[in-house]
Amino acid sequence: MGLFDRVWNAAKSMAVGHAITIREMFHRPVTVRYPEEKPPFERGSRSVPVLKVNEATGLLNCVACGLCERSCPPSCIEIVQAVDAAGKKKPWPETFELDLSHCMVCNLCIEACPFDALEMADVVELSSYQVQDLIFSKDQLTELWKTSKALRVAGGERI
Amino acid sequence: MNILLAAALKVVGVLVFVMANAFMLIWLERKVSGYIQRRYGPLRVGGPAGIYQSAADILKLLAKEDFMPGGADRWLWLLAPVVSMVPAVLVYLVLPIGRTFTLQDLGVGLVFFSSVTSFTLLAIFMAGWGSNNKYSLLGAMRAGAQLFSYEVPLILSTIGVVLIAGSLRLQTIVAAQTQHGWFFFEQIVGFIVFFIASIAELNRTPFDLAEGESEIIAGYHTEYSGMRWAMFMLAEYSNLFTSSALGVALFFGGWHGPWLPGWVWFLLKTYIVVFVGMWIRWTLPRIRIDQLLDLGWKFLLPVSVANILGTALVLMVR
Ligand code: SF4
Ligand code: SF4
Repeated sequence: MGLFDRVWNAAKSMAVGHAITIREMFHRPVTVRYPEEKPPFERGSRSVPVLKVNEATGLLNCVACGLCERSCPPSCIEIVQAVDAAGKKKPWPETFELDLSHCMVCNLCIEACPFDALEMADVVELSSYQVQDLIFSKDQLTELWKTSKALRVAGGERI
Repeated sequence: MNILLAAALKVVGVLVFVMANAFMLIWLERKVSGYIQRRYGPLRVGGPAGIYQSAADILKLLAKEDFMPGGADRWLWLLAPVVSMVPAVLVYLVLPIGRTFTLQDLGVGLVFFSSVTSFTLLAIFMAGWGSNNKYSLLGAMRAGAQLFSYEVPLILSTIGVVLIAGSLRLQTIVAAQTQHGWFFFEQIVGFIVFFIASIAELNRTPFDLAEGESEIIAGYHTEYSGMRWAMFMLAEYSNLFTSSALGVALFFGGWHGPWLPGWVWFLLKTYIVVFVGMWIRWTLPRIRIDQLLDLGWKFLLPVSVANILGTALVLMVR
């Protein structure tokens, strides 16, 4: 390439580059000012598994089968099945504890559940200075389900 | 006594302006880079659009430990930031800010300007040599090669303007443009060479090899922290302002403009040139050292010499 071609090419590509940057400058920024302004959750995103309640009966969908407990890679779910006075097992959990401090939000528990008893809620602001505050009990998880919207449910997306 | 008082007032005025201006420009640079990258830039610290950010930064830097690397050449290392501030402040002396407002209207203003700004190289080399650090030394050597090779086209590119105006006094050069029209139109080649060379003199992207983060950390100011580092930054932003101001005085008619007072026009034009400099910085990538030297010696130098010859020929024929 001759000198004039090179100078011309350099000038042209510089003009194109500067046109791009000045155009971007007058666009709306893509970032948001987080605490004041919250971006919407994307459909199918994952945050916290919560326990669903059957609206007709008011009982948990969960039958304490323990599949989610076993499928959880970091073992952060702990389930104790309810028993009656005679020692007979009952189909609901006595305790259902989720340790969010090491939940990795992988969605595997929800995929494993055969009874549609878990779903991902649209809450993320749960941080705390105490690890104990991050262990959620059955009642807290139910409460979270009631106050949030579902992002993702068992068996894939269904919103 | 009066002379001393006036001198003291001038010094204080310039220092205050240097600080305020550097605060403004650092904030502006962050905003411009933010919006070019589609971010907001600083917002949180307070003031309209986070304008107090730079003040907060200075407070933070003042509170930092002044750490000297082991084996550093004590006096060179300590003095380098101060030496870098000296030319940055001195050049305000000759800037033609308003029609009747120059701190000291020297007859050889342009020569004064270019000779004082070449002292920046001394500071950079003191910092690089004194730090006892290979990255600093590499950065300083690159800066040396770069400043030497761009000083020449920078000065040559202004000679066309000097030929037309017939003076080295900056006020006369600006005044000549009131009847003659801006020299930018006749000296567009000179202006392009001047602008490229002055960006290179300022060590700004795309010519910021002297502080190329990805290769040599921060170049000559790798070992500096706290207020000493801040002095390098202040000098850099002050130089950005003064070299843009020189460009405005030489090519865009300085304080010349309708309605508004002269100094407003001068500052306005200067800030527009500064903005263009920032726009370039956030658009172009850094170039290689061989490309840099090629551009300086094989392109800008012949072009600026040709520009001088052409201007002289036209002036002779007229
Ligand atoms: S989302 Fe993953 S890590 Fe969290 S509880 Fe479910 S299976 Fe465990
Ligand atoms: S897999 Fe579903 S039903 Fe089984 S224990 Fe877990 S949540 Fe309950």
